[in-house]
Amino acid sequence: MNIDEKNIKTWSTIGPRATLGIVALELAKEIDNLMVLTCDVSTSAGLDRYRKTYPEKYLDLGIAEQNMIGVAAGLASENFNVITTTFAPFQTMRCCEQIKVNLGYMGQKICMVGIASGLALGTLGYTHCCIEDIGVLRSIPEITIISPADSLETVKALQAAVKFNKPTYIRLTGSANNPIVYKKDYNFEIGKSITLKEGKDISIFSSGSMVYKSLEAAKILESKNISTKVVNMHTIKPIDKAAILKACDSKLIVSIEEHNIVGGLGSAIAECKALLSKSPKQLFIGVQDRYSKGGSYKFLLEKNRLTSEKIVEDIFEEFNK
Amino acid sequence: MTNLEKYKKIFIDTFNIDESKLDSLEYNTITEWDSIGHMTLIAALEEQFKITMETDDVIDLSSFKKGKQILKEKYKLEI
Amino acid sequence: MEVCEIMTESAEIKKIKNFSLNVRKNILEMAVSAGASSAHFGGALSITEIVSTLFAHHLRIDKNNPNWEDRDRFILSKGHACLAYYAALCEIGYISKDELKTFEKDDTNLLGHPVINRKLGIDFSNGSLGMGLSLGIGVAISSKKKKKDFNIYVIIGDGECNEGSVWEAAMAAPNFKLNNLYAIIDKNNFQQTGSNKEIMDVDSLKDKWTSFGWHCKEVDGHNIQELHNFFLESQKINKPKAIIANTVKGKGFSFSENNNAWHHSVLTKSFYEKALNELKKNYN
Repeated sequence: MNIDEKNIKTWSTIGPRATLGIVALELAKEIDNLMVLTCDVSTSAGLDRYRKTYPEKYLDLGIAEQNMIGVAAGLASENFNVITTTFAPFQTMRCCEQIKVNLGYMGQKICMVGIASGLALGTLGYTHCCIEDIGVLRSIPEITIISPADSLETVKALQAAVKFNKPTYIRLTGSANNPIVYKKDYNFEIGKSITLKEGKDISIFSSGSMVYKSLEAAKILESKNISTKVVNMHTIKPIDKAAILKACDSKLIVSIEEHNIVGGLGSAIAECKALLSKSPKQLFIGVQDRYSKGGSYKFLLEKNRLTSEKIVEDIFEEFNK
Repeated sequence: MTNLEKYKKIFIDTFNIDESKLDSLEYNTITEWDSIGHMTLIAALEEQFKITMETDDVIDLSSFKKGKQILKEKYKLEI
Repeated sequence: MEVCEIMTESAEIKKIKNFSLNVRKNILEMAVSAGASSAHFGGALSITEIVSTLFAHHLRIDKNNPNWEDRDRFILSKGHACLAYYAALCEIGYISKDELKTFEKDDTNLLGHPVINRKLGIDFSNGSLGMGLSLGIGVAISSKKKKKDFNIYVIIGDGECNEGSVWEAAMAAPNFKLNNLYAIIDKNNFQQTGSNKEIMDVDSLKDKWTSFGWHCKEVDGHNIQELHNFFLESQKINKPKAIIANTVKGKGFSFSENNNAWHHSVLTKSFYEKALNELKKNYN
């Protein structure tokens, strides 16, 4: 699977879900004990071609997520390398106790992929949006949580997760025509954040779809001569404490996530920062702990002040207080 | 390379299909042209002809022939 | 590697009966040593013959190697009945008599619900009801994919059948044609705070499992001959197999039989002595 300009462009156009399908096809070539499990969402998870090409490495458990995690744990206990995937709310909250007992407590290694997390499916209502998955899973020990910034990082995250020795949750946000953050291949390491842009006055920590928005916001802030650092925290747990410590010399820390501000990336950063005797204030940008009327992805991002313009407004106001 | 040759090349590269099969080629009749393949095709067409296709056109583009018609009528390309 | 061979009819049954006597003895030892932290007594006694028929005879296992790759797998989905499970693992030799005494003590390997510990022959962590059969499906599929012919035996409580996840698994197994999977439902008619009828009636279990596509038979869960025959006859049936084992909660001791107070309670010294005497009387 060569990571070249053409592929990066294609993956961006087709979006993270279809990219998942393509990565699965590649992984199936390299890993003979791979098993991909889903709950009646093969097409939505871009797994149509995978299902037809590798039927013996695929299981559809039907609309039964609790059973899917149990079956996955049974397979993992027999040394199969298991990926499960369905829409984020069902992949994480519907089978939360199976995840706790089988993955967290018993340690069965499974890679769970939550598709269309965040607000992407706003027109379907909050039953199909997911602003709570990080908060819920973060409280379960031994589960690594990754939120890729773009389609290329989705590829990198999946490749890393299947080789990783612990259970992981990969949260896919964004949709087709997912903006490109990484224009060429780069080194991805679970647990290690990536500083995309240096800056002295403000440190922005973001993950998933908000990384690109943070870069856009940083450009505008620079034009208002506010020097802004942008850090891609693709791994929310375990969080990169060193990066947070380093950012404490800036005047303001900002966390930006397409997730509830309660329990997500912002909370993880605050928990880490709270241990320090002195650290800068933190601005939590994200869904402000409430459900709202539904609508398009664009509409919901706007409504939750998660567009680059609104992000700049909020940061600017906080910074100048 | 004429627009038609470019158009054909995109289909041939995306679906690694033989030129002789192009005229009768339709969506979902070969494994390569599934939902993922379709988006890859659209990305390549947009890149090649510097256009951004509307969702309706993306959905309507259900065969090699129909694609030519859409690009001619909606995007003013002679093919 | 010593594998259990098929012996003459009555010798097998006698062997299993003797095994079940020792299981009950081990249960008493653990329960009394647990003392004030109490133990799930009734639900372990109701599966004693089922566990004994499996561990003494039908489970293909290697007494020297709990991790033998081709072993039959056992999953106690009703994890709280682990007294019977630990007792059987002790009889097999995976767990020592001394270790049994650490049951529910600080830092023990033997808590009130099984915690995965393959050295001791505990293949899975259980305890949250309704999850074991799904694990069993995963293992059964693995067995098929690895072209092995080991079986998987899952013991499920009747109260546990209130959980939706049980029926998700029950629906899936026939779809995957898992003829190497056995679901044994311990129908002791009680659950935590009362009888099934009072709390949530799960009647006509045989019809339910049959309608989901399982080969299903109702047996007397304390009749070793009936259990033994079922496991023999069902080998060639090309469907997942379910047994509705009609049992008595607290079976084996007059004070605990059909007395739901013994779902989870303290076995005092006096009850322990009483139980031991009853064992001697009934089994000799």
